[in-house]
Amino acid sequence: MNVLEIQGLCKTYPGFYLDNVSFSVERGSVMGFIGRNGAGKTTTLKSVLNLVRPEAGEIRYFGLDLAKHEGEIKKRIGYAGGAVDYYKRKKIREVVAVTRTFYDNWDESEYRRFLNLFSLDENKTPAQLSEGMRVKLNLTLALSHKAELLILDEPTSGLDPVSREELLEVFRYLRDQGVSVLFSTHITSDLEKCADDITYIARGRLITSSPLADFLRRSAAEGAGSSLDEIMVHYEKESLYEKNAG
Amino acid sequence: MKKMLDKELRLATSPLAWVFLAAAMMAFLPGYPILMSAFFIGLGTFQSFQAVRESNDILYTALLPVPKRDAVLAKYLSVCFFQMVGFAMMTAVTAVRMTLLKDAAVYRTNALMNASPVFLAFALLIFTAFNVCFLGGFFKTAHAIGVPFLAYGVVTLLLVTVGESLHFFPGLRFLNAPGGERMGLQFCALAAAACVYALLTVLSCRASIRRFERIDL
Repeated sequence: MNVLEIQGLCKTYPGFYLDNVSFSVERGSVMGFIGRNGAGKTTTLKSVLNLVRPEAGEIRYFGLDLAKHEGEIKKRIGYAGGAVDYYKRKKIREVVAVTRTFYDNWDESEYRRFLNLFSLDENKTPAQLSEGMRVKLNLTLALSHKAELLILDEPTSGLDPVSREELLEVFRYLRDQGVSVLFSTHITSDLEKCADDITYIARGRLITSSPLADFLRRSAAEGAGSSLDEIMVHYEKESLYEKNAG
Repeated sequence: MKKMLDKELRLATSPLAWVFLAAAMMAFLPGYPILMSAFFIGLGTFQSFQAVRESNDILYTALLPVPKRDAVLAKYLSVCFFQMVGFAMMTAVTAVRMTLLKDAAVYRTNALMNASPVFLAFALLIFTAFNVCFLGGFFKTAHAIGVPFLAYGVVTLLLVTVGESLHFFPGLRFLNAPGGERMGLQFCALAAAACVYALLTVLSCRASIRRFERIDL
């Protein structure tokens, strides 16, 4: 069963067009969302959260239309767009005290568990935390209301290698619990450690959305490379000379 | 919506918004354009919007498990809450001035507007200007506050000028009687202003919701 289905998503910005993007995320799977800077990853993720208004397309969570069931759907998903960048001067305790009132499914013991796991101090303000610690705070908030789907935009950027490994372990744990994870990243080695599926977007167009193992096998057979890094370079690198000539 | 209002008051409201409510007491000042007290209450609320922008409150709110439109509704409700608290305080000051202090020499010789139901009516019109010009303007972008506040300032200046000079016009001297004259007419003016406030605030809120739904955050 799919927890998220995106059909024909289109969005235009000056100099950029997100062109008819469609993919779906299965329950209990980890999907990596990759692409170069400016490929359309954040626009896609913001569209599926109704932060950006797409010109066309259908977005369904758990079989429900986002436009008609926005409040209900947002209770069942968690989002972390990198580091916490709101209420930086308020104590974490104060922000959480308000945030938890919006979730019937808020799990205080999970919240405490992740605070301990990530060594976060509630009496600090986000402004007093490093970038990496603010990413962990965002994740803690997203993980504390028993979300069935986590949507994470660059969650591992800014994290040290140990924290990244811990986070990937959290993803694997969540997958075993039946939680789905959709996360964008530039660090493709993270995907190779934990992703089941991959969605690859380039210049606003979908290149593939398929099981990671299938994509790697197919690309190797086509001579595009054997790792995600090599494959991305193969598909997207334009030489400086070609650019100048163009 | 109760949760949203609670969130507004606990996270998004600047402490200055509470401090500026004290401006309602300026309605006691003789020889001072007391309608400015309504403007200052708006200025206090404006401080909250500066904090909203700095703290990324709109993004936080849009990610909460509520429809996107509720972010707008919550802002209007919290602004109206402050306006109604300010209005209640101004009403209390007006009642004191028109009863206990009606014979005070400073008010009998006051060249500017005295506190009266018409004063309260103009205060409501200034609040309406805030809701239409500032809130309506803010939700065109959900971040720009300068131009909307300027528009609010210009409209308020006009309203204060008209309100403060009204009793100089022939036949309108009664508006400045410290103890109140022709109260029926004055209360009709207050009721009309309350209707304008309610109607234009609702219309502004609806327009803001439509605009906000189209904004890319």
